Amino acid sequence: MSRLSQALLGAVLVFLYMPIVVMVVMAFNRSALYELPIEWDTVWFQALAGNERLLTASMNSILIALANTVIATVLGTMAALAFARFRFRGRNLMRLLLLPTITIPWLIIGTAMLVLFFWIGIGRGLHAILLGHVALSIPYVVIVVGARLAGFGPALEEAAASLGASPWQTFVRVSFPVIAPGVVAAALFAFAVSFDQFVISYFLSPPGVSTLPVEIYAAIRKGFTPEVNAISAIIILVSMGLMLAFARLYRFGGERGS
Amino acid sequence: MSETARRRRAIVGLTAPAYLWLLLTIFLPLAAMLCFSVLTVAPIGGREPALTLKHYAAFLEKDFYRDLTWRSVRLGLDVTFWCVVVGYPAAFALARHVRGCWREALFLLIVLPFWSNGLVRVFSWTIVLRDGGLLDRAVHWVVPGAGALDIIYSYPATVIGLVHSFVPYMILTCYLSLQAIDDSLIEAARSLGASAARTFLRVVLPLSLPGLVAGAVLIFVPVVGSFMEPRILGGTQGIMLGTVIEDQFTTVFNWPLGAALSFILLAIVLAVMLAALPVLRGRLAGAEGASS
Amino acid sequence: MVDKGFWGSRRAFGAAFVAGTALLALAGTAHAEGTIRVLNWQGYGTDEAWAVELFEQKTGIKVEHDYFNSEQEMLTKLRTSPGTYDVVLINSSFTGDAAAEGLIQPIDTSKIGNWGALTPAYRDNAMLNIDGKVMGVAWLWGVTSFAYNTEKLGAPGSIGALWDPANAGRVGWRDDAVEAVQLAALATGQNMNDPADMNVIREKLRALKGQIATFWSSEDEWNKLMSSGAFDLATYWSGSASRSKTAFGLPVEFVIPPEGAIGWLDGLSIAAGAPNPDGAHAFIDFMDSAEFYVKWDTEVGAPASANAEAMAALPEGAFNRVVLGDPAVGERLQFMAPIPEERRQAYLELWQETKTYFAE
Repeated sequence: MSRLSQALLGAVLVFLYMPIVVMVVMAFNRSALYELPIEWDTVWFQALAGNERLLTASMNSILIALANTVIATVLGTMAALAFARFRFRGRNLMRLLLLPTITIPWLIIGTAMLVLFFWIGIGRGLHAILLGHVALSIPYVVIVVGARLAGFGPALEEAAASLGASPWQTFVRVSFPVIAPGVVAAALFAFAVSFDQFVISYFLSPPGVSTLPVEIYAAIRKGFTPEVNAISAIIILVSMGLMLAFARLYRFGGERGS
Repeated sequence: MSETARRRRAIVGLTAPAYLWLLLTIFLPLAAMLCFSVLTVAPIGGREPALTLKHYAAFLEKDFYRDLTWRSVRLGLDVTFWCVVVGYPAAFALARHVRGCWREALFLLIVLPFWSNGLVRVFSWTIVLRDGGLLDRAVHWVVPGAGALDIIYSYPATVIGLVHSFVPYMILTCYLSLQAIDDSLIEAARSLGASAARTFLRVVLPLSLPGLVAGAVLIFVPVVGSFMEPRILGGTQGIMLGTVIEDQFTTVFNWPLGAALSFILLAIVLAVMLAALPVLRGRLAGAEGASS
Repeated sequence: MVDKGFWGSRRAFGAAFVAGTALLALAGTAHAEGTIRVLNWQGYGTDEAWAVELFEQKTGIKVEHDYFNSEQEMLTKLRTSPGTYDVVLINSSFTGDAAAEGLIQPIDTSKIGNWGALTPAYRDNAMLNIDGKVMGVAWLWGVTSFAYNTEKLGAPGSIGALWDPANAGRVGWRDDAVEAVQLAALATGQNMNDPADMNVIREKLRALKGQIATFWSSEDEWNKLMSSGAFDLATYWSGSASRSKTAFGLPVEFVIPPEGAIGWLDGLSIAAGAPNPDGAHAFIDFMDSAEFYVKWDTEVGAPASANAEAMAALPEGAFNRVVLGDPAVGERLQFMAPIPEERRQAYLELWQETKTYFAE
């Protein structure tokens, strides 16, 4: 690779990682006011262990992300199957309807959900946040699984059916193993979308119930200590681990081509 | 049961759950918000609303709402512009000048930050950018006696934080379309005597335009509606249409005004999207053709 | 073909839904018996760790907190979350609004042991006593003005210091419409509760362009910005200023300039539909006790107490006794009065317009 390319990519990586490194390093700095130079200490990790608010919020984030992953992956995969295996009137319109969650600012989706959920009595809470996250995740699942489905035709399924397999058997024994890598990739995607989602959760979380990003925002606005850095450092490491797993599967799925 | 009926049941059964979900969480809420935007007060807690267009009128009458809208749009354009400036060359270098496992590794490294918490990333910029912060110290270490950087709590700080959050989108989409360009096309252009610059302008750029536009849309839409980043990094420059909408919902309880402002923002976003549609359609058609 | 897929899909859908709700049930937050939830500014007395601990020792009641950054946000939280909060701190000029909207309930003063010790002028204040009912228990009173960094600036002799070109880019300002308008009214010699000339105020606020380094929205943020040198003089509250000095060791001094300052009275109220009204009464009584207040003011820093006995128990030289107890200072204060809804909306619009102008 050329010198220029090296320099360019190096600069971009420095730009991308500088604040992340700073964030992690500051978690080990004793000063509560983020003063330099650094005095190394794990005091904020110890403080974090006793910070129920942050830990509960992290737990909520993980549980919502898991529930979101299960629901969005199932619903999105079903819709993707329909789009891939049937030609029907309204199919294009329905695919178009997946776009709003991507092309409308989250701020507007979030406030709109707040308005409706308040109006019709769904209210706010973890259930409402989950409703919102699934809606955001479904289009990604449909797109990712759809791409995988497009890679193989219905021939295998037809063969199975002609040999007397029920539709459910066909799906479990034939279709699913083939699209599995795409489904797993979509599931990881859905998890990441939910785990990082702030805007929707922010408008839909009632007092006393929050997810991690909401809690971090409240902390930044109303008073915080480097415990926020400590939990962020843990999350960055965990999510990067998740991403590495994703990358492995991604290649395993063979969607990137060569 | 006839074959057609079975087919219909299968289609409905497979798609209905997802679309009912989207109906409840996207389309009905937008409809409810449209209703709210023409009410005098939010019909919550026994308040008596009446129909009105005054919130839309307020937007037209008060100059500062237009200024705010322009600020938000300009923020979206500036951030998109800088994402192109930073992201496109990086994607180009990655797609055309890096080979083998290096490419895989670099690609991963660029997409990785994407998966860390967005709020945390924005917040960490306050530590990097503030006076006496990392950047300040680095500058003074290199140039002793340099003046204060004075960059935190400003419009540029907001742009930096947002570019950082969104540039991976641009690198990703540009990389995908640059990588797909057939090497023989470039070789053909060069062998016909085109200079490197001319080859880039006439061959590479047009072929990668769809990726550029897709990245721009993915960045522009959320940035126009951003409120958290300007609040944390913007200081006195942090007021945007997004922050005013947030205020209407979380602070002043003027949900109808917030709803009206949201719809105006949405209209602007859609107008920009429509402008980009011809290019997008070209890309979608291309994708459709490639997948079948 | 995925033919009778409908049945399969429904089974899968059901499984997904059960899994999802089961996970959520695990995450459910039960509101324990013997808990109260308090809505207040962050760092404003009720959330002092030692106080919460002491109260739990005495009564067995746990205290949880939620915070707001403006009175408007406080009201919106009460409106959108009925039945969530027990005790809420309300600036007395907003108590009437909260009562009129049915957001708070009358207080049974027989359950407030310190009721008799409260200074009558605050306890019987008309803003807290509405239609013959006690809607808020007087807790603290103090002053909104500004504070400066004594290591970087000489003592400012006037509110004009905030507009002084020598301080350009060094001023911190709270992002709050009502406070901004009231300070500008004081600076232009007007009645801050009913300014005669809004255009003068508009111009005065616009003159802050270039003066303000950044906005602040919470006490914690103020301390961080002051200590990092992001601003050297900033609008502030008297109680918070003494906390910044006492608890955080910052070199700051609070100023009550000759042009006057904003006086305010904070009351503690009980939210309508409070899950634990008895606990709420007990907590309000504890907060108004001399035992809590004297420790808070001397070790952490606080505004002045509405409890006369608590004030008498402060050490001789305390700011709250010497400065706020000085009749000459008292004459310079204008106390915040309720603001009608239309005027507040006008303030808000004026402030948003001004901020937009700052950002240009």
